[in-house]
Amino acid sequence: MLTAFFVLIQLLWVGIPILMAIMWSLVNPKDAWSYPNIFPPSFSLEQWRYVFNYTNIARALRTSYSVAPLAVLLSFLLSLPTSYVLGRKNIPGKKVFMLVVLLPMIMPGMVVALFLSRVFSMLGLSQTFFGLVIAHTLMSMPYMIRVMTTSFASIPQDVIDAAENLGASTFVKIKDIFLPMIRPGLIAGMIFAFTTSIEEFNLTFIIGTPTFETIPTILYSFMGYNFIRTNASVVSLLMMTPNIIMLFIVERFLKSDYLSASLGKM
Amino acid sequence: MANLTLSNLVKRFDDVVAVDHINLDVADGEFVTLLGPSGCGKTTTLRTIAGFYYPDEGEVLFGNTIMNNVPPNKRDTAMCFQSYALFPHMTVWDNISFGLKMRKVPVVEQKAKIERVMEMLSLKDLGNRKPGQLSGGQQQRVALARSIVTEPQVLLFDEPLSNLDAKLRVQVRVEIREMQKRLGITAIYVTHDQDEALAISDRIVIMSQGKIEQIGDPYTIYRHPKTRFVAGFIGMANIFDGVVLEKEGAVCTVQAPFGKVYIDTEGQEVPNKGDTIHFSWRPEDMKIRDRTSRNQISGNVVQAVFMGDITDLFIEVNGCRMRAQSDDEAKITAKDHLSFGISEKAFSILRG
Amino acid sequence: MKKKDSLTPFTLLMLLPGVGFIIFFIGSSIVLTILQSFGLFSIMGNSTLTLGYWKAILNSREALDSLLFSLKMGVLSSLGTVMVAFPLALFFRKSGQGKGMLGSLIKIPLFIPALVAAFLILNLISYHGLINTILMRLSIIKEPLRMLNDKFGWGVVMIQVWKNLPFVLLILMSAISSIRDDTIDAAKNLGAGYFSILFRIYIPLAMPGILVAMILMFIKAFGDFPITSVAGPVYPSSVAGRMQIMANLYQEWNQAAVLGVIIILTTFFVIWAYSRFAELVQGDN
Repeated sequence: MLTAFFVLIQLLWVGIPILMAIMWSLVNPKDAWSYPNIFPPSFSLEQWRYVFNYTNIARALRTSYSVAPLAVLLSFLLSLPTSYVLGRKNIPGKKVFMLVVLLPMIMPGMVVALFLSRVFSMLGLSQTFFGLVIAHTLMSMPYMIRVMTTSFASIPQDVIDAAENLGASTFVKIKDIFLPMIRPGLIAGMIFAFTTSIEEFNLTFIIGTPTFETIPTILYSFMGYNFIRTNASVVSLLMMTPNIIMLFIVERFLKSDYLSASLGKM
Repeated sequence: MANLTLSNLVKRFDDVVAVDHINLDVADGEFVTLLGPSGCGKTTTLRTIAGFYYPDEGEVLFGNTIMNNVPPNKRDTAMCFQSYALFPHMTVWDNISFGLKMRKVPVVEQKAKIERVMEMLSLKDLGNRKPGQLSGGQQQRVALARSIVTEPQVLLFDEPLSNLDAKLRVQVRVEIREMQKRLGITAIYVTHDQDEALAISDRIVIMSQGKIEQIGDPYTIYRHPKTRFVAGFIGMANIFDGVVLEKEGAVCTVQAPFGKVYIDTEGQEVPNKGDTIHFSWRPEDMKIRDRTSRNQISGNVVQAVFMGDITDLFIEVNGCRMRAQSDDEAKITAKDHLSFGISEKAFSILRG
Repeated sequence: MKKKDSLTPFTLLMLLPGVGFIIFFIGSSIVLTILQSFGLFSIMGNSTLTLGYWKAILNSREALDSLLFSLKMGVLSSLGTVMVAFPLALFFRKSGQGKGMLGSLIKIPLFIPALVAAFLILNLISYHGLINTILMRLSIIKEPLRMLNDKFGWGVVMIQVWKNLPFVLLILMSAISSIRDDTIDAAKNLGAGYFSILFRIYIPLAMPGILVAMILMFIKAFGDFPITSVAGPVYPSSVAGRMQIMANLYQEWNQAAVLGVIIILTTFFVIWAYSRFAELVQGDN
């Protein structure tokens, strides 16, 4: 009984905000929706058409969805050897290294953004695509490393010993043992890294704009000085939908410990 | 301190009837053990007395008061859990004082009671330790102290000794019994260990599949099991069927698969001539080379297991397997041919 | 005994891409922040070691107001989320552990980016938004409530709570699940009523989880930029917002650096305080 009550509350708690955004994105510009109406007087797809034709949303989408895969790939490549060591070797100072890996997550975002942009300026990376990719990679790495470290650690030593006993070279070990066995963790890590990149705001705002716009920065612009609720609604929905799909993928097909690992249980 | 009554108690979980019409009267200060295999309903019954479950049918009475829907924190019972369930973040002292605190006993009185109980259970210097710093035996005593100090109407024990090693178990069960006798609190004790039950109970309630098989004091339960289940569950037993050929008063001549036996049914349900009965006797009642009884059984030893104090024997008599014991000094091996005498009074007539 | 591996050059080389990458970029930005706060590595003007910028910030009314405001946001957000999440976590302990429909529903804000969450809630709590409309229609209030861009910062707190509830809930659920049923039964058996159990058993035993949740929430809310700039009051801005304005608008990078250092120090102080406290509490376990 109480469960039903909570489900209802949750539906309202989560559903109403999203519903409002959906409705705002469908408002007919010829029929303004304002107080005291609870619902918009009529619906139309005009807003969507407007946003796609008259704003930079297309460009922002392109930037977001081209930076993200590159950032995921780069963070995977950089994290792989590190996770192997942290997952399978008992080196001195391991705890310290694990904490260092968490830094991008702990450090206050805007501080890092501002002063990393200075560093980028000095390196000539400011306002460049490559700079953006590096920044996004930086923010994704904690998740990647943590998840892959857990995956590596869970490979039983016996399996590796058996492979060696049967004559496997290092290359074969990597290709046929390690990579396949860490695959579930890897997929989880990649999903989180991807989502982190799509949502990344602080660094992109400082380092990327105005040359580059991503979905978050364009949303911000619609919420700032020129607050256009309808545009903001459209962009919000554009941002949310792939995320919510990812949510269901993660919930259904992956173990939930990856969820908590990525949230950085301290 | 009052007596406890369970009247036609029924408790169901979905389709399973865990407690199936239980009737029990417990006298003031009595130590009653609920004994049976896992799933027999003994723990469910205990938890219903404690108030963690509410009965589906029937009543739980403390004295004359019906307790059916009274929540557990309002019942005057105290329970010792199998896992001790000590509060891990509180010291020994705070654990023991918890129940008193809930009953709003003044702090000065608390101190006196706690100190006395800690003295009784040899916990005197452990007051400031936390459960994580105690041994299993010490934790068990703290759990006991925590229950006793509240001076409840009924003490409940849920297999409190299962997590202790064998030697400690034997020692502690006696201590629990002594404590209970000294304090005179009514106690209901749940266990699956029959030695434990036999050793410390005033009465034992044997349960199986939610029903009571037999209630009685340890001696009666052991010597005169009433049902096949009880005979097989407590100690070892030879169980057979037979037809009553003749009857002389209480003494029946019974034709069993392995031969004729004379059974004195005095004190039990006396069967009629022609009835088919189920009966049992204990291996230790088969006395080697004893000629005093009319019952003489002989057969070949199929297997002899030397256990130290006795030798466990598996005998074949006219194609029937039975179990015997010998404390004879002479070493017995398989293929030996032995005869035994069984007293006519050693048999129990079984129901079901 | 677990075998101890040594730090061979090969191992270090393997660690380099991951750890090295992070140390290089994060490290350089932090170092730059610190140096610039003391006047070195200035972008414009002279580079001299000076405490002048520190003095300027500490004397600045605006900086202090921003700092206090952010502290307030940190405390209120962490308290608010924990207070809403804790009863939910207790509820989930008994029923299904947050699986199924309810679990998925609750987790949705986790996957909604902060800015989007800000927008969604902002829609509801704005001056002519849904909540005000309903309250007015039901005649509960005569005038719309100012919940957005209000001087106190309620808008920000509401968004932070909505967005971060699942995050805190997961942490609390994990903490509560480690409490054994036996322990609760024993407390009931000894006479503890609902409130006694809550305050003497649940909260003390879940405290490590509660603290972690509060620390993480505080850090997030204290150092926030986008949510506060969108939903917060016109004045004061958050500490991060102030820092950004100082840097980009006034080009006062050195002063911005001072604010940056203050944010970093606060973050680390809170983490340090927590680990000392945790050590104290769990010291004898």
